[in-house]
Amino acid sequence: MKIDWIRVAGLTAVVLAVLIFSMLVVRSEFPAFDHVEPVEIETTEFLWTYRLIDLIAQAFVLFAAAACCVAVLRAEEEEKK
Amino acid sequence: MFTEPLDVLLIFTVTTPVIGWVAYKKKYRKIQGVYAALGFSVAAYFLYELYMEVAEKGVVLIVGQLPFNPPLGACLEIDMLSVFMAFLCTITGLFASVYSITYMEHDTGLTEYYTLLLGIIAGMTGVVFAGDFFTLFVFWELMCLTSYALVAFRKQRWEPIEAGFKYLIMSAAGSATILLAMSFLYGMTGTVNFAGLAASLNGTAPNRWLYVTLTLIIVGFGIKAAVVPFHTWLPDAHSAAPSPISAVLSGVMVETAAYALIRILLLIFASTQPVWQMTLAVFSVFTMFVGNSMALLQNDLKRLLAFSTIAQMGYILFGLATASLSGLTGSLFHIMNHAIMKSLLFLCAGSFIHQTGTRDLRKLAGIRQTMPMTTIFFAIGAVAIAAIPPLNGFWSEWMIVAAGIEAGMLPFSALMIINVLFSVAYYLRVIHIIVFKKPTSMSKKAGGAPLSMLIPTLILASLCIIVGIYPGPFMAMASQAAEAALDLQAYISSVL
Amino acid sequence: MIPLVHYLAGAIALYTIGMYCLASKRNMIRLVIGIEILINAAHLTFIAFSAVRGTDPLGHAIVIMSIVFAGCTTAVALTIVTYAYRHYGTLDVRKLRRLRW
Repeated sequence: MKIDWIRVAGLTAVVLAVLIFSMLVVRSEFPAFDHVEPVEIETTEFLWTYRLIDLIAQAFVLFAAAACCVAVLRAEEEEKK
Repeated sequence: MFTEPLDVLLIFTVTTPVIGWVAYKKKYRKIQGVYAALGFSVAAYFLYELYMEVAEKGVVLIVGQLPFNPPLGACLEIDMLSVFMAFLCTITGLFASVYSITYMEHDTGLTEYYTLLLGIIAGMTGVVFAGDFFTLFVFWELMCLTSYALVAFRKQRWEPIEAGFKYLIMSAAGSATILLAMSFLYGMTGTVNFAGLAASLNGTAPNRWLYVTLTLIIVGFGIKAAVVPFHTWLPDAHSAAPSPISAVLSGVMVETAAYALIRILLLIFASTQPVWQMTLAVFSVFTMFVGNSMALLQNDLKRLLAFSTIAQMGYILFGLATASLSGLTGSLFHIMNHAIMKSLLFLCAGSFIHQTGTRDLRKLAGIRQTMPMTTIFFAIGAVAIAAIPPLNGFWSEWMIVAAGIEAGMLPFSALMIINVLFSVAYYLRVIHIIVFKKPTSMSKKAGGAPLSMLIPTLILASLCIIVGIYPGPFMAMASQAAEAALDLQAYISSVL
Repeated sequence: MIPLVHYLAGAIALYTIGMYCLASKRNMIRLVIGIEILINAAHLTFIAFSAVRGTDPLGHAIVIMSIVFAGCTTAVALTIVTYAYRHYGTLDVRKLRRLRW
């Protein structure tokens, strides 16, 4: 059985790299959300509280548009008459 | 979520592909049609319950999830007019799906077909239930998108593709115009809710931008309602679509555009009423003339019926232009009659085409000898729509003419009577060809229509006769719907 | 601050350009782009009005949803253009003249 040495070397290098990087990451602290600016989410709140009916209907419109594209692009089988 | 009928139709739309997969595995192709017919029946049952609720309460209002949302929130507002139109849509959809079980048996892609059929009827039901302009627009887009794919359904031939492309371009331009009009209304009042717009715009003096918006509304909805300079997509699209889809498009989709015009013009543009009344009356007279004159020249059966649809929409819009209770009752009653009669005519024409393979009227001569039942039903429908007395077309057209005379639009009523005589001419010509002429070789080889195609036409023809002989209860329904449309105070006060 | 009527004039100009594009272009894909231009005219108006009242969220919400519908319409239009190309061999809309009278 031929062992592909390049492949073995590559796999060993990857495993070593994963171990070393995960140890480095676990040791350091990430500055989570230290440099944050206030985000305006007014439109999103508005959409979901006031315009719920339109959003649900829009999901159905997207489904119907996908069905339209499938209907026009469908494959024709050769029918035996 | 929404009301039950709309919920049911949307859920059936989304689950039809699952049934289609089951049908594909079991190799039994007709199950999707039965499932769609089941969906329409369940929706019709819930619609009947909704009718009971509206009849005792006045206006039914459903708003999102919170108890208080208007005038900024999306809402559905259902009154008698909405229930009336929704009944027509659902019943026409039921007949079309039962008819399609045998008509479409040689086509591929039946799963997508029934999904889109349920989708277009769901879109129409949503349009008539909407209480907010953007909700109406969302369901309007659902209706339009599914109709583009349904017209172009038989894509192996060139005709549906050409007709579908022209239809798509004109109809999408119409939707964009409606969106622009909506943006101007939003700019003027800060809300897109119908009741909010009515309350804000009704007392004020009209300014220039309001007239611009009025023009955009009439153009935008008029493209879909086959008003005359914008009607050119209709003959091509309705002839190229499969026959049950032609029945749905001609019978209820153009009427849904007329419903949108009725709702918006009566509610929001009440301050400019004299202007739109006269404009709509002039447009409707042109529509009637163009529709009837072009129909006299046609030899293709479905194209003739499509031009007749344009003329009938002219009558309906003329009834709207009188803006009185009797005119609006006549319009709504004619919407109901036209849905019944035009679906009947298109379904019978579909039976002829299915059995003989041709749409040419001269080649279908004398088909009475091989397809007697379907010919009788077609003759009943043609006599009804030509406004000959004992059948239902006569009552509604007479009501519209009488309302026109009452409202002081005497020359327009006279022109309408002339148009009715034109339509008698070409319908009698069609009946003469298919009943009295000698059969050609193509009509001799036709067999009788299959049962699932015969039953919807039988029911529709008997409805024509019943409504014609006993129009009282149906006129009362149309009259209640018209009162609800004209009663702005009840509409506004139940929302705000 | 740019006055409101300048935005409205821009939107009307876009609408006119869109209608001109629909009326005079021959390539089918340009017609589909013309539809997009028409819809964008309405979007511009909505955002302009929303900005007048200090970022009114209703205008933003409507435009967010309407962009999706414009995309759906374009998708269905392009599938029909695909089949038109297969049948006619050309993207020239003036060759689609077999349906006349």
